[in-house]
Amino acid sequence: MHNCYSLGIDVGSVSTNLLLADNNNKIVEKLYLRTSGRPIEVLTKGLSILKDKMGSKDKIIAVGATGSGRQLAGVLVGADVVKNEITAHAVAASHLVPGVRTILEIGGQDSKIILLKNGVACDFAMNTVCAAGTGSFLDRQAARLDIPIEEFGGYALRANSPVRIAGRCAVFAESDMIHKQQTGHSTENIIAGLCEALVRNYMNNLAKGKEIVEPVLFQGGVAANIGIVKAFEKILGVKIIIPQYYDVMGAYGAAILAKEKVEATGDTSFAGFSIVNKDFTARSIDCTGCPNMCEVIQIISNGKTVAHWGDKCGKWGAVKSEVG
Amino acid sequence: MLITIPHMGNVYLAAKALFDGIDVPYVIPEPNNKDSLRKGSLYSPEEMCLPFKLMMGNYMQSIEKGADTILITGSCGPCRYGEYCELQIKTLSRLGHDLDFIVLDAPGEIGIDEFLRRIGKIFKASNKSRAEKLLSIKRAFNVIDLIDKLESKAHFLAGYEINKGDCKRILHQCKKDAFSCDNPAQMLKVIKEYLKKINIIPIDKTKNPIKLSIIGEIYTVIEPYSNLNIEDKLMDYGVSTKRLLTPSWWYRDMVLKPLKLNSMGLRRASKEYLPLYIGGHGRECIGEAVLSHKEGMDGAIQIFPLGCMPEIVSKAILPSIQRDKDFPIMSLIVDEMTGEAGYMTRIEAFLDMLNHKKKHKISV
Repeated sequence: MHNCYSLGIDVGSVSTNLLLADNNNKIVEKLYLRTSGRPIEVLTKGLSILKDKMGSKDKIIAVGATGSGRQLAGVLVGADVVKNEITAHAVAASHLVPGVRTILEIGGQDSKIILLKNGVACDFAMNTVCAAGTGSFLDRQAARLDIPIEEFGGYALRANSPVRIAGRCAVFAESDMIHKQQTGHSTENIIAGLCEALVRNYMNNLAKGKEIVEPVLFQGGVAANIGIVKAFEKILGVKIIIPQYYDVMGAYGAAILAKEKVEATGDTSFAGFSIVNKDFTARSIDCTGCPNMCEVIQIISNGKTVAHWGDKCGKWGAVKSEVG
Repeated sequence: MLITIPHMGNVYLAAKALFDGIDVPYVIPEPNNKDSLRKGSLYSPEEMCLPFKLMMGNYMQSIEKGADTILITGSCGPCRYGEYCELQIKTLSRLGHDLDFIVLDAPGEIGIDEFLRRIGKIFKASNKSRAEKLLSIKRAFNVIDLIDKLESKAHFLAGYEINKGDCKRILHQCKKDAFSCDNPAQMLKVIKEYLKKINIIPIDKTKNPIKLSIIGEIYTVIEPYSNLNIEDKLMDYGVSTKRLLTPSWWYRDMVLKPLKLNSMGLRRASKEYLPLYIGGHGRECIGEAVLSHKEGMDGAIQIFPLGCMPEIVSKAILPSIQRDKDFPIMSLIVDEMTGEAGYMTRIEAFLDMLNHKKKHKISV
């Protein structure tokens, strides 16, 4: 017997997630890999892991790509749908928790709030310009305190009186935190303070003026941090639901959208697993065709250029993601 | 004298027409690119807003080509733009460049005599007759009016075009051809030809595209490099866009201001939310949001540079308009970042949301 799967890919700044969903949109396999600034390498590695896990007769019937590296991933795998992560997250959340009204999402480099009505996004906000209030803020402070990020939340829960730390910016937070350390506050109280600072920052930057209606979902890698979850519950005064697949929601949304698309068009454009054996390199060239000096990205496979993007005039043939 | 100007949208075409017309030597800096950003931010205060940095980049590129006179508009505040010229004059002179700055402040602010004295500096360098000089000024204004008109047509019709890319291609080809003219009359002729072309592109009137207003800080909405070419991108997505703030709007507003006849509609529209001028074009932004809703647009995108005080005030007001009028508005902040991924994510998600809203008639 063979199974048909839709493949969802989310190439984010910190993690690259891949998953296989079956015909009923049930997740049968998921991978959470660190991108480490090498999206192509990680993506092909992820694909080969998935390939090994699939039965020899199993088939991929649809592929969706999302995340900030969606364009790159879309070209490499021949995605049926290339979708922005905000829409992908909203789709995934309303599949898992029908009737969800608010999604809090904190990833590595960005954080979002999405408000939904009748299963579709009706308002959203995403952090602008700086990465305060995101996972990398926590990563940085955890490194500074020499505590593995996985244990961060546990420390926060053991705090008896969280200290106040300026959360506006990671640099401010760091000097504030050091000063509090020097005056003798416990690590637990400082970490709890950091969690609250991050949530305060999130609320100020993204949720200002927005009505938070239950059910409230919290997803993205940072949802694993129990300290942040508690800080959200304390500040918002609502129950926070962590969906089962909180860390791969973008990929899940992409898989669902791809499946819907293929059901409409009839066929997938998936390039096949053979791409894991191909050698892909990306390089950027400064186009000298006109004074715009666009940074054009070239994807090269076995000496042949397979895709281009980044040009303003379209002469290199840009690839676009979909809207609608 | 070798005169130059900083970029802001299509202004360079009008400036070229003027300088060609009065036969004064000039340098038009390269269109804003990463080189202008690099050079500009090297010599600008770190926390300064993006337009300042790009303008500095334009000056540096022109100075390399021998420019010794810079023509800019002033505004006598009250936002940072009012200090731009002073700070730029000081910075450039500290760098050892001996430049003559001609700052065109509004005649209402500096007096008509001073205004004429400043303008006179440019015209003194010309050997043309008085009549020819006046004609050249008129033609320069015609150029900016017509190219702004073509641009706004292209942006709006992009949602209705049958052959994808027609509007964008005509717009960019026109700018290119117009820029290659060394004679203002010829340039006007070229633009008029393209206006004819855009009027006859095949369109499908039954299409119901997403219609968006581009609002916010004047430089970053007008200068495409600063907003990562948002209008081009929206044309690619088949979205119809409208933008009120253009160089031609700006000079009309300047002329009418002393008579208090400027922006009457905007002032009325903004009354409920922001009944006074707070500097920059903050009040205009609010008025445009309200008017766009009245005109039946589907939403608005506000763009402003990081640290822009007037637009931060409008940004705080826009959610009330969104709520009261059920009119989605997204704010985008631009700075030195040229990475497009996060920017595109927001735009695409916003368009998805508007599509759903349109299809399912849900409220925000």
